[in-house]
Amino acid sequence: MIEESYREEIAAARAEGWRFAGLHATSDGARVRTLLADQAGATRLETVVAHEGAVPSIVDLFPAAGWDEREAHDLQGVDFAGHEPLRPLVDHDLRVERWAVPVRGHDTYQVAVGPIHAGIIESGHFRLHVVGERIIHLDLRLFYKHRGLERAAEGHTLDEGLAYASRACAACAVANGVAYAHACEDALGLTPHSELARVRTILLELERMWNHLNDLAAVCSGVGLAAGNQHFAGLTERARRLNAKLTGHRFLFGAVRVGRSEITLHRDDVCAAADEVTALRSEARRGWRELRFNRSFQDRLPDIGVVDAAAATRLGAVGPAARAAGLGDDLRASSPRLAYAGFEPARPERAAGDVQARTEQRAVELEQTFEILERLLDGRIGPATATLGAPGQPIGIGRVESPRGATSCIVERRDDRIERLRLRTGSYANWPVVAYAAADNLLPDFPLINKSFELCYACADR
Amino acid sequence: MLTLLRDLRRLRRHLDLAPPERAASLAIRHVDAGSCNGCQHELTLLSSPYYDLQRFGLGIVASPRHADVLLVTGAVTSRMHEPLLVAYAAMPEPRRVAALGDCALGCNVLGTADTIVGPVDTILPVDLRIPGCPPTPEVIAHALLGLISPLPVAADDPRRP
Repeated sequence: MIEESYREEIAAARAEGWRFAGLHATSDGARVRTLLADQAGATRLETVVAHEGAVPSIVDLFPAAGWDEREAHDLQGVDFAGHEPLRPLVDHDLRVERWAVPVRGHDTYQVAVGPIHAGIIESGHFRLHVVGERIIHLDLRLFYKHRGLERAAEGHTLDEGLAYASRACAACAVANGVAYAHACEDALGLTPHSELARVRTILLELERMWNHLNDLAAVCSGVGLAAGNQHFAGLTERARRLNAKLTGHRFLFGAVRVGRSEITLHRDDVCAAADEVTALRSEARRGWRELRFNRSFQDRLPDIGVVDAAAATRLGAVGPAARAAGLGDDLRASSPRLAYAGFEPARPERAAGDVQARTEQRAVELEQTFEILERLLDGRIGPATATLGAPGQPIGIGRVESPRGATSCIVERRDDRIERLRLRTGSYANWPVVAYAAADNLLPDFPLINKSFELCYACADR
Repeated sequence: MLTLLRDLRRLRRHLDLAPPERAASLAIRHVDAGSCNGCQHELTLLSSPYYDLQRFGLGIVASPRHADVLLVTGAVTSRMHEPLLVAYAAMPEPRRVAALGDCALGCNVLGTADTIVGPVDTILPVDLRIPGCPPTPEVIAHALLGLISPLPVAADDPRRP
């Protein structure tokens, strides 16, 4: 596509209701591809050829493309005309004024947090611009954990590439792995057999189960409610033990394969797992009821870290954070490759987009997850495959709803080798939303606001 | 809330965890030098009711200046190299370094040559190696407790074997 028509095409797609789902440059920086998605789950890829190393920016049309363009500039050397200033993102420039937004005025000062945090937390740097106790602006500097996974995967076979996508992050290993497997299968023209769809859906929901339990424990700890934290931490432990029992690994590592599944489970083991899910369901409900009616807990949550529906749409928020703002986005409602027939996105009673709504969203979604698991954990699980149903293509796209939101994976291949791997996770999409949510709140509320998103650094940094 | 506290008390009674055999404490400072977050998630659960490592005097402290042990997870990335050295330099003597997880030990690390500096022992003197991908909370607990000497028993103590 030539440069001028690229922007026109993107603008027209936006007017038709298509939304931004990712942007990446090819390894040589010669082309830039924009992934768009519609509400029904359809995707399209718009490619523009770089002219003298530059392509037009679309950040004015889709602010959500901001990080993607900055990353493509830092890693593939592409310039984005119209993206001013194009601040470094993955590159760590020592000069603060290069990567942080200048904040001027009376009594403004900066609070620098990280990269090493005071607890068991991943590494990343927050630069808070503050007046008194009020946060004026937050600049995030992540990518301390950048391991170059996408580049390292290039040249490997499609089977070998799975490790690079799924091991980007332990908390989203299944979601990233299934997104990668879907992308490969899309490129190879494979359609998963219904048993394969069932096994993967079980794995995805097992992952969501422990993550959401963990997130509720995290919010309790953010509030300082030890009893709630311990209750949900205990349930997280039980959920991980269940993972180990079913797949031999507490984080379900190695359970996802490209084009097949090798998990075999006897009917009795599946039945026992369903019983444990039911037990966890009743324990989680008890815990949530306690939290709901605990005044000192509930008083801390409303009206802080607000991201309303308009802001969530503009910033491209995904997952529980978007649904807590009232958006009905959940890729599970449009996943023909998975066993989510009849799924409808859940929303909290009060979709205000604040810490309270995001917390409640986890509890509401946990109910759905328990229900899906109880339904699918019925009868033996056997090896499963995908069947050849369509012609192969050089580029495959896979999209999966991870515990933190829509995760897109794009695989560009030559025969059986990876030419370019791109993984855009829910955390990557939502980090700029955290920065937005923090502004205008009190500094001591920031840890709680951050925990209400509970994003991964690892799958953003890759 | 009383319900949850009662439940937790019951769970603790049911789990019947062994009483501490050691009478020392260990202050741990964790540094993520480039992990996939798996080791952190397991480390977090060490304070869950199923392990409750605080009962052995093991605690995570907020500053390396308060720490006896620097617990490092992940293969050390080029961007975390410097912060890791700064954290180590801030620790008082005697100080020890524990490398947690296969990546920190340099096994099966994924990444490019220019982003990964190397395993922890190429950067700091490692005293304790905890393998696993990630190591389970049991393995982590067992290894860390090994850093605390057993309760000293007096020569005339009848409990002495």
